[in-house]
Parts: sequence; C-alpha cells; structure tokens
Amino acid sequence: MRATLVVAHAGSVYVLSPGTPPRGFELAKGRTGGPTAQGGLPPAALDALRNADPGAPIVVCGQELLTVVASRLARPVGLADRTAWHVALGALPAPEPRAERAAMLARARADLDAALRSPEELLVSLAREEQRFGRSEGREERAAEAFVAPVGTVLADLDRRWRQVRERLTEHHAELDRLLEAEARRSLPNLSALVGPRTAARLAAAAGGLAPLARMSASRLQLLGTRRRPSPERGPRYGAIYLADTVDAVPDDRRAAFARSLAALAAIAVRADVLTHRDLSATLVRRRDLRRERLLRRGR
Amino acid sequence: MRTAVRLESSPGSPRLRSRARGERLELWTETVGSPPPVYGERWAAFGARTYRAFEPVRSKLAAAIVRDWRGPLPAPAERWLYLGAATGTTASHVADLLGPDGRLYAVERSPRPFARLLNVAERWPNLLPVLGDARDPIGYADRVPLVDGIYADVAQPDQVALVVENARLFLRDRAGMVVVALKTSSMGRTLGAPAHLRASEAALSAELELAPSVRLDPFYRSHYLIGGTRGRPQRADGPRPLPRRPGKEPGRPGRSLRYRRS
Repeated sequence: MRATLVVAHAGSVYVLSPGTPPRGFELAKGRTGGPTAQGGLPPAALDALRNADPGAPIVVCGQELLTVVASRLARPVGLADRTAWHVALGALPAPEPRAERAAMLARARADLDAALRSPEELLVSLAREEQRFGRSEGREERAAEAFVAPVGTVLADLDRRWRQVRERLTEHHAELDRLLEAEARRSLPNLSALVGPRTAARLAAAAGGLAPLARMSASRLQLLGTRRRPSPERGPRYGAIYLADTVDAVPDDRRAAFARSLAALAAIAVRADVLTHRDLSATLVRRRDLRRERLLRRGR
Repeated sequence: MRTAVRLESSPGSPRLRSRARGERLELWTETVGSPPPVYGERWAAFGARTYRAFEPVRSKLAAAIVRDWRGPLPAPAERWLYLGAATGTTASHVADLLGPDGRLYAVERSPRPFARLLNVAERWPNLLPVLGDARDPIGYADRVPLVDGIYADVAQPDQVALVVENARLFLRDRAGMVVVALKTSSMGRTLGAPAHLRASEAALSAELELAPSVRLDPFYRSHYLIGGTRGRPQRADGPRPLPRRPGKEPGRPGRSLRYRRS
C-alpha cells in the first residue's frame, strides 16, 4: 500500500510521500525529547502534510508524534506498525556524521542525567560512594599505621601533611554519611528504623534500586551485599544485614539466628516502604527487640 | 608506554591482527579512539598504527574469533547496532573494527554502566551511545538509522526474541548481518545449553541464513556465538582459516590450542 509516512529522526521531522524525495524539517535546535517537547511540528512540515496526496493515507511513526499530527490535521491519520517504521527508516537520507555525533552525545548526556536524578538513584549512588569511601579510608589507615618517619626529616613533614589530608577525608566521609542517612530515612523509613539507615541504603544499592528490593524474599535480603563465602564448604553469610549495628550487639553464637529474623522483618519493612507507604516502624522495632530478648534468654 | 609488536594480518577484518604467543593466539584491533585504555587493555604500536589487545577472556566476540567463528564480523565503514553495550569493553573493539568511517550505535539500559560507556564514546569518534531498552526498539528509533549489522550481548531469557524485533526494525533487507552472544544459563535451567542453542538457532533461522555456531568454552561456560546474514550464509570473502602454528592438526582449534585464564 502506498502511504505518506511521517517520522521524527535525528532532530528533524521527515515527510515521505510516495514518488517524491524525502523532505526533512528541522526541529528546534538544542532541545532534547520528542516533537511535543519542542512546541509541536514545524509549520512547513504541517503544510507539506496538508498538501500531501489525498489518495494515500497518512501513517505516523510513534505515538507521541501521532498525537501532535492528529491534533493539527483535519484528515484521519494512522499509527505506523513495525513494517512501516522499517520502510520509513530505509527512506531517510544518511545523517551528517559530525552533527549526528554531537546530537547523540548531547542526548545521551541529558538522558543519563535524567535517569540518575531520581531520589532512588541518588540513594544508590550515595550508598555505593559511601561503601567505596569506607574501604579506601580503611586501607589508608592501615598504611599510615605501618609508616614510620624519623623525626625532623622530609618524610616526617610529608607524613604530617598527609595526616591533614586524611582528616579532610574523614570530614568528607562524615558529610557523606549525613546525606546518606537523611536520604535513606526519606526513601526507606521503615527499613531504616529496623536495621539502621546506612544498612538500608546498602541493601538498596546491592539490589540496584527500590523496586527490585521490594520484590525480594527475606532469604535474598539476608544475603544481599555478601562478597564471598567464608570457606568453600560454607555458604555466604556476611551480607549487609549481618553486618548491621543491631546484629553487632548480639553475642556471636546468636548472630546468624538474629540476622535471619531481622531479614524476615526487613522484607515486611521494604514492602511497606516501597509499595504500601504505611508506617510500620514501631511494630517492627518492637518485634525485633522481642526476638532479640528471646534469643538471648534461650542462649544462656 | 606503548611497546612495539609484530602482528600478522587476520582474515576476519582488515582492522584485526593476530600474533601467535606459544600455543595461544592473541588478537589486536586497530584503535579508533585515543588513550587511556578502556578497561586496562594493552596498547601497542605496529608500524605507524596503534593496536589494542582484544582478549578472549574479556570479550565473547574475541573468544569466538579464536574459536574459529566463520560468521559475519563488522567491516570498515559499516553501520552496526550494539545491544547491551554495558561499559563498552567489547563495544570499543567493535567500533575499532568498523573504523573511522563506520558507526556503532551502542544501546545500554542501566544508567551506571552507561555513564562509563559515555566516557568511552567521548574518545571514540565512531561510537554513538544510546540510553535505551533493547526490548523497546521504538524508544530509540528516532536516533538509530537502518544498520548493516546487529551485535547483541544481552543475557536475558528473551534475548533472541528481542534481537529479532530489533532486526525487523533496523536491519537492512539485503545481506544484513546479526551476531548474538548467547548466554544459555540466563535462558532457564530446565533445558540444557545445547537445547537452548537449538531453540535459538531455530528462531533466528527464520530471519537469517545462519553460519555455524561456535561454543565459547573454555573462556565462557555455556555460551555460544550464533548469527548469520540475510540472504547469504557467510562473509562475502568466504571463510579462511585463522593462522596457527605449523604442524598442528587443522580444524580443531579447541583441542590444539591451550588457553589459561589470566
């Protein structure tokens, strides 16, 4: 079937009428997003469509463009299927390489920025940054302990200045911690109350976001953030939950059991945070403390 | 500092070279981008050109070439679509094979790896990054033109179906090429790897004339490289054997070449 195809590609809207060469109409420069985000169609493109062959139906590629075209045109228009898309793409002229590259990079930067802007991604970024920072700080401390500089030498001077840098890094880490905890309390209030905000953020980072976290079973949650198995015979154990401060306060031989219970409560907390947005924190904390007391009594 | 090396030409592509190191075969691609290295790979000068080591343990495409892949490969000045580009390890080598006049449209869905891919794209003039979901090709159809080939490394249960979707939308009709790095362990545990391979080959053979699939052992467990061309089964220049040491039995590269993971 012969049809007039309309397609937005590489910053232009193209009108592809049967039997005529493709005509391109540039969309507003420097903007990203589809034609609706750019204040509608260029007037010349609209004129070309009004003058299009009345015998050939107008088929538009993409729902967004279709909405724009249909609202401005008196004729009925159709939505392109995959075959029509393929035909339209095949009829387009090759883009100018330098302009294409510049536009693609600009669009990629804008898309990435938008994707990382959400509170969820902010939380994941902060948590990963904090973990990375904690590791490098520990490494630095250990190296500093092993370093001995004779008094009055160049080395001692270097060492003193390096200590100042480390102090600044510690300040930076504290700042990072504050931001992270505030963000975790906002996004995951129940989980933060239950296992602490830093552990909550680490869980979200290990799961790769809030939605995947909310889909996980308690047993998955318990093992999130494990880095290796303690030995080939034993399964992984030391995940974010096991290393939480609340578990740290329990005696060694009761920790695994407590981590298991805590993971079960964490699964409830995450679902409340992400899906139902209810505040269960008081109940969850009470159940957690009750469980801990029972474990301690039974252990003695 | 870049060292100088002696490299042999390779039948796969004019921009691909190889070097025999003991019983191993090293692959190198002529770089389009500028330093620093993308993922810590070695750079070396050969004549007036700069090459980057293309290691089978880092890239499924390199593993397949070492395992005697006879199917399509990216050639200079072509346009290819790369689904699942991640941080750009293999994507940078595919861009190398396409050369400065080629174009690689690299699609990646998750933002964090994409940030690193974007860094690579800044230094690789022919690599164009697209933040999009390969399951929804219409989502990036406003930027990607018809292409000569599609390389997919997506590791999802529906990886072959989404490649077919993309091929129907973006692959040129005559002699369009498709290469899929198949991770069968991501496709379900109820069937074994050979069964997944057969099912994938059947799904692709409706669209393409398939080249012989290669298994990527010992570099990747239960992975295969499958693919082919619309309307013709193999590369136009026909398959030529990869260079190997004299005295070795031909045609059995997996047995005659020993590899160690480094």
